[in-house]
Amino acid sequence: MESIQEPQEIDYEKIGLKCGLEIHQQLDTKKLFCNCPSILRKDEADYKIKRKLHLVAGESGEVDVAAKYEASLDKEFIYEAYKDTNCLVELDEEPPHEINKEALEIALQISLMLNAKILPITQIMRKTVVDGSNTSGFQRTVLIAQDGFVETSFGKVGIATICLEEDSARIISKEGNVAVYRLDRLGIPLVEIATKAEIKNPSQAKETALKIGEILRKCKVKRGIGTIRQDINLSIKGSSRIELKGFQDIRNIEKAIEIEVKRQLDLIKKNQSAPEVRKVLADGTSEFLRPLPGPSRMYPETDLPLLKISRDIINKSKKNLKPKEEKIEGLNQEMVSLLFKEKKFEDFKELSKIFYNPKLIFKMLLIYPKEISSRKKIKNLEKKFSLDVLSSIIENIKKGVISEGQIKNILEKIAEGEDLNLIIKKSKPEEIENLEEEIIKIIKQKPGLSFNAYMGLIMKKFEGKFSGKEISDLLKKHFKT
Amino acid sequence: MKNINPGDFVELIFPNKSYKGILLESPKDEKGVILLKLDSGYNIGFKKKDISEIRLIKKAEKKEEKIEIKIPQEKPKIAMIITGGTIASKLDTKTGAVSPLTKPEEFFKFYPKIFDKVSLEKIIVPFTKASEDMDFKDWKKIAKITYNLLNNKEIKGVIITHGTDTLHYTASALSFFLQNLNKPVILTYSQRSIDRASSDANLNLQCSALASISDIAEVLLVGHATMNDDFCFAILGTKARKLHTSRRDAFKSVNRKPIAKIWPDKIEILSEHKLRNEKNKVKLDAKFNNKVALIKFYPGQNPDILEFYHKNKYEGLVIEATGLGHVSSLSKNSFLKKIKKLTKDGIIVCVTSQCIYGRVDPYVYSNGRELEKAGAIFLEDMLSETAFVKLGWILGHKEWKKNKQIIKQKMLTNFAGEINERLDEQFHSL
Repeated sequence: MESIQEPQEIDYEKIGLKCGLEIHQQLDTKKLFCNCPSILRKDEADYKIKRKLHLVAGESGEVDVAAKYEASLDKEFIYEAYKDTNCLVELDEEPPHEINKEALEIALQISLMLNAKILPITQIMRKTVVDGSNTSGFQRTVLIAQDGFVETSFGKVGIATICLEEDSARIISKEGNVAVYRLDRLGIPLVEIATKAEIKNPSQAKETALKIGEILRKCKVKRGIGTIRQDINLSIKGSSRIELKGFQDIRNIEKAIEIEVKRQLDLIKKNQSAPEVRKVLADGTSEFLRPLPGPSRMYPETDLPLLKISRDIINKSKKNLKPKEEKIEGLNQEMVSLLFKEKKFEDFKELSKIFYNPKLIFKMLLIYPKEISSRKKIKNLEKKFSLDVLSSIIENIKKGVISEGQIKNILEKIAEGEDLNLIIKKSKPEEIENLEEEIIKIIKQKPGLSFNAYMGLIMKKFEGKFSGKEISDLLKKHFKT
Repeated sequence: MKNINPGDFVELIFPNKSYKGILLESPKDEKGVILLKLDSGYNIGFKKKDISEIRLIKKAEKKEEKIEIKIPQEKPKIAMIITGGTIASKLDTKTGAVSPLTKPEEFFKFYPKIFDKVSLEKIIVPFTKASEDMDFKDWKKIAKITYNLLNNKEIKGVIITHGTDTLHYTASALSFFLQNLNKPVILTYSQRSIDRASSDANLNLQCSALASISDIAEVLLVGHATMNDDFCFAILGTKARKLHTSRRDAFKSVNRKPIAKIWPDKIEILSEHKLRNEKNKVKLDAKFNNKVALIKFYPGQNPDILEFYHKNKYEGLVIEATGLGHVSSLSKNSFLKKIKKLTKDGIIVCVTSQCIYGRVDPYVYSNGRELEKAGAIFLEDMLSETAFVKLGWILGHKEWKKNKQIIKQKMLTNFAGEINERLDEQFHSL
């Protein structure tokens, strides 16, 4: 076989990688500032509205407004709308209604789970957008919370801001000076989570994205393609800031960062690193989208009062933080509900990551502890059966050090105060002895087979109990060519 | 807070935390709140009483805004009167304060396209008010300024910007106050504030500019014809009514075709109108008697309400009646009985319809006949708001006021297109 060259390892600490994530997640509620359903449609629109946007002279110091205006001359925007799922608000013909309470509640739940500080008084803002994707010429957005964090195996990653904002209209076509947008997506609530640029390597980026994703899925968010969008900001020593946009697949994050960092290292050598926004392609590479824009122009949404987030609203959203029912292969819905009810869902997911055996993990979390506690009359098993202890049991099952059948017995011993490592050490020699006996027995019974054939037979018999290595080591001892 | 003003970069100190940002003006209805613009652009708020200290970090830089724009000359000259409203206010995004546009340069900055067609010779700002705060004195002021401008040979036409809510009252008032009109008087508005790229003001002003140099010598209200940004309608001042709270095409021409359809670059005439005649000298007839009222009748209404007007020496009432022009006649809540009393005491009572579209008619039902017999004047297809303004204007003339028959005759005389004797099917369309 041809040897594949190992990719050169990058020392991310050395090159000073600073990376932050920005995640946009659609919420599963009605629209943020009107009472229309958040439905994307494929059927033909009922009617169309023709609009123009003119550049607005902004804050002082702005350059040559007239020239800018010229550039936008005669751009025409057609908005496709539906009689039953769009209203005057999306058409920019009616002021926004009060912010959707359910969406606000969900944003608060997410903020709480991200350990962020919720702002008691905040103002809904208009972020200027003149590409036509908003009928109003701006996107409404409001800062809900700041200064949170998520834990990763590489350390905490700070959450800078959590905002609630409205999604833009979908582009349908663009030809010459005419752009056609559909209003079905305009106004769907989005939660925008921006981490601090504290992520130090690609694996941490992926882990952070997964952690945030997990938290989002506990709330009433939309699922499926296009309902979550991830962007990455990154820079290394000597490079400009780069934004990587449009990850649909979280698995691409590590690869895309790695590729971009390599590209930047190369550009720095050539002294060509420039701030830009890049679109990530399916293979993890990216292409130039546009130069990195300056800070967005924001001003208050004068049609709405200040948003006051009272203790009551926060408490209510805490109370309503009911995780959505998930489906887990191998468990029936009753078992899934029980996991949630007993608040063991997170543990279940952690343990499943080590070794996927839903029924077994379910029993370890919910059945055995109860049985042991009632039979042995031992209280407060929670502490003894900590996630660390359970993880290490599962790891040993995965390695084949212990078998499924031993688990209940091991847990009982732990409940009685024994140390897991000791239990495993003690149990192991007996087991290994059994294994060795069995190997000798099989070789006697079926002489003359190949090494691999014996391996197969023994593996089958001790499925899961021992690792392949353990078996092959012992077999080598007794197998004679 | 000494020496610290909105726009300054500050640090708000709390017992256990602090925030840096630009200090903003507190909203008028939230005096107990301090607003701060963070570096990210987001505004957040705090209760004043929770802040231990506001520390000044950097004073706001006072940038004198120099706009060096050459406004094209050599174009027909027009004048603009700014009375307030959304169309001529700008928002200072740094402090949150709203102020009116007062210089041609500022207009150019916001609406460069109007200068394709005209040269803005004069901008006059008699006051800036929300239109619901205006009254007949303001109509008089606007009329007087317009009158002077129309008799200025240099000026081809006048554009008046105005809040939408009572724009149709002002349009009616100018229609009666300015007699023998020689040039276009264009009233326009916006329903979306001008800080947004989607503001309707842009198209409305472009079309108004074109209308102001056209040959239509009428008081016209110019604004979006539909929800699209393509053309406007020019509606006769006495026939315009706001019929939507928020849409761009809020104003409709009631019981009459619009005068014209106006695109930014062309005009299509839809119905007859007076022609520009610069030899004409405009006459100002801005008399107004404010002892008039507009009353909406509703089922079960206690007629004692009419006593209030009687006692307070009102001289004329417009009753916005039901359907063809009816009020209750049954004994307990009989409006009819009360009206008979008022007219007997010399108060002028006019009748319009709350249907908005269509004409009143006293003869179809006996209630109408009795109301007419009682002395009420049925005002044909006149809009209630127009009727109210007209009644105040008529009663403002001492020589007419003396005689009830003259008043009736004047109320039913078509001074400014307020009565349409021929309603055809197409006038009733929203």
